[in-house]
Amino acid sequence: MNFNIAVAGNPNCGKTTIFNALTGAKQRVGNWPGVTVEKKSGHYNQSDHKFDVIDLPGTYSLAAFSAEETVVRQYLENDEADVVVNIIDASNLERNLFLTTQLIELGKPLVLVLNMMDMANEKGLQIDVDTLATLLGAPVVPVVGRTGEGIDLLKEKILRVSTEISMKARLIDICYPRDLEIEIDKLHQLIQVNDVTDKHSRWTSIKLLESDKQTRDEVRLHSNGTDILDQAKISVGRIEGLFKDTGRAIISSARYGFIQGAMRECVVESLVDSVDYSRQIDRVLTNRWLGLPIFGLFMWLMFKLTYDIGSIPMDWIDRGLVALMNFISDLLPDSMFASLLVDGVIGGVGAIAVFLPNIFILFLIIAVLEDSGYMARVAFIMDRVMHNIGLHGKAFIPMIMGFGCNVPAIMGTRILESRRDRILTVLINPFMSCSARLPVYVLVAGAFFPENAATVIFSMYILGIVAAIGSGKLFSRTILKGMSKPFVLELPPYQRPTLRSLVLHTWERGYLFIQKMGTVILVGSVIIWVLGYFPTEVELDRDYGSERTTLTLEYDSQFIALESKFKKSVDQDRSGYHSEMIVYESSSSYLELLEQYQLLKKELSSEKNQQLSSLRQQEIGDITEQKWIGRVGKIFEPIVRPLGFTWRESVALITGFVAKEIVVSTYGVLFGVGEDVDEGSQGVISGLRSSGMTPLVALSFLVFTLLYTPCLATVAAIRRETGTWAYTLFSIAYSLGLAYSLAFAVSYFGRMFNWLS
Amino acid sequence: MFNFKRPRHKLHISDENDLRLSDLKPGEKGRITEIGGSENFRHRLIEMGLTRDAEICVDKYAPLRDPMELIVKGYHLSLRGMDAEKIAVERIV
Repeated sequence: MNFNIAVAGNPNCGKTTIFNALTGAKQRVGNWPGVTVEKKSGHYNQSDHKFDVIDLPGTYSLAAFSAEETVVRQYLENDEADVVVNIIDASNLERNLFLTTQLIELGKPLVLVLNMMDMANEKGLQIDVDTLATLLGAPVVPVVGRTGEGIDLLKEKILRVSTEISMKARLIDICYPRDLEIEIDKLHQLIQVNDVTDKHSRWTSIKLLESDKQTRDEVRLHSNGTDILDQAKISVGRIEGLFKDTGRAIISSARYGFIQGAMRECVVESLVDSVDYSRQIDRVLTNRWLGLPIFGLFMWLMFKLTYDIGSIPMDWIDRGLVALMNFISDLLPDSMFASLLVDGVIGGVGAIAVFLPNIFILFLIIAVLEDSGYMARVAFIMDRVMHNIGLHGKAFIPMIMGFGCNVPAIMGTRILESRRDRILTVLINPFMSCSARLPVYVLVAGAFFPENAATVIFSMYILGIVAAIGSGKLFSRTILKGMSKPFVLELPPYQRPTLRSLVLHTWERGYLFIQKMGTVILVGSVIIWVLGYFPTEVELDRDYGSERTTLTLEYDSQFIALESKFKKSVDQDRSGYHSEMIVYESSSSYLELLEQYQLLKKELSSEKNQQLSSLRQQEIGDITEQKWIGRVGKIFEPIVRPLGFTWRESVALITGFVAKEIVVSTYGVLFGVGEDVDEGSQGVISGLRSSGMTPLVALSFLVFTLLYTPCLATVAAIRRETGTWAYTLFSIAYSLGLAYSLAFAVSYFGRMFNWLS
Repeated sequence: MFNFKRPRHKLHISDENDLRLSDLKPGEKGRITEIGGSENFRHRLIEMGLTRDAEICVDKYAPLRDPMELIVKGYHLSLRGMDAEKIAVERIV
């Protein structure tokens, strides 16, 4: 038979570790329909039965506060699960049991798992497992998830609860104070009379006393819904009058009352002096004076590891791609298909594939930070700063990561719990100047501000941060207003991460990136290739073919002239040569003449080659102007003219949409230096200078490059993490608008005050 | 920083006994007497174990003075000063 097993529990209770131990590596990660909450599922077999396991998001309650809570509640109320496995952190029993009381009331067959028993013992807690099981009316299995101790017993229990009817009906009721019970009973009976199909009518009654909106909406649809709601109103009024609080607060407090009673009966706290290691570590890591410097050091290490270690396999991938491109070019005849494959697909996707090592290393480090418990401390340390922009302290990590590459940074926003925080962080992240923008700064700043290049580049980074902070403040006061949640953050005990969970975490997130390369980025690269390839036949104003012939002929005649001049001087020299000891061809004067001639010939031929390649490059520039991409550039020229840009800047910016560093190679093509330019290339620098670009326009171009629509990979990441095209398109439009306005402001005020002209 | 100038969050409690969680120093303990603020905020705190009469200990403040680290029901929890100010406590010695 097939059984659906749902794993539920608080955040930080070790739920995922148990899930991994149950299912092994056979996992699938997806999203819950309609929300960007990760849905993890897996399965295992036991005694001819198949168990499909769902790892529900970690929640403290089932109040439907957050997207996660709504998901868990809907899943459990919809009767999809046959058995609920509730993971409980034994070292934090009291608060963990709060969720358990709600799971009991939902009436599902339940298996309780006391995880982290070792830590509970270290804390000096002795838990009477049998008494707890009796009190809660469900089997209790003590385990240590990290070592796998007790997992077999857990599987055994799940099997029995799934297959043996006698195991199912043992759930007890959570006892509330008498006055509450009276009102619960009234509603309970009313519901049972009206609707016998409701399987968890006691749960419904309690939720009605809490004035839970979702439950009220459901009850309203019942045949006698209004009667029930009328009674609920009376009951709520009575208990609120009696206890002087809201229904929900009363019920929640009563749950804790029940839990305290249970704790008294089955937990013995020994008086031995136990050492709270976690607190000792925090004495240093979140210390008043040391906390910030240590955090800074960790951030620096994260950067260093990501980009330094990442650059090694990056190099291999790069070389592999070049080899692959050469191989295919040699294999296939020069055709449209070959160009599509080599320049479009491999070139485009490859430009982003080289970031794979960086991304995997970064995700591994994040997994370490998360699994160890340090991530919560990051939020603790940085909250004061991030709160200013209306964000949660944890949002600091993706922001810093943005300096490296916005793609993993945006994917890293998954560490944030609230959707509003995630969207806000995603929207402002592209303003953090990523490493792909640096080559553009170096090229342009080097060409126009050779004296102050470093200052100009640094101010670009500062401008990016200012834009991010400003936009964050703006968004949190306008489009993302009021969705903010209070900062209530648990600081879980530190733990040594397990290798298995690190590998799984890293792979899950990295795989999403690979998936994206195969789809959005592939399509985008092909589109840019099409724009650059068609039309295949272009009409040029200049006849490059004949110019090339003329040039060649001109040089050929110069070669002939040079040779005859050489012969003439040799003849002259020979007639004045008298020695009979040495033949003339070995004489020093002849050798001197020969050397001179060879030198001149060499100079001439290199001059010829230079002229020819310059002509060729002008031709490429002219051809590009005629291609669709050049025409698109021309179309946009009037729009960017107020900024002082020409069609060249327009083309460079359009291609920069695929990946910002492409701006540099596009300039290479446009100024006919070839594609293999680096940011120090003299050809491009002199091209830029002679194109009529002023330092002011250069500055405005840099501002535009920093702020405008992030690259294709980033757009794809935004689409993925926000889950809607609306925010994606908004992000594109907003950044374009901001880039345009600020670039315009630079050139407008610059002209007004005659700066840098 | 500017918490000082803002009027305090209004609670039902009488003025003479007005001690808030945010007034406690590291190492000091209190018992919760009332939680103010929005419904959602109050409910969230109660669900996290900050019920009336619950004992709460201020462990420390973050390096930048905000938020603060608390110990409640045997686990560590962090709250911002502006939120801790909505929680009335009586000092336990």
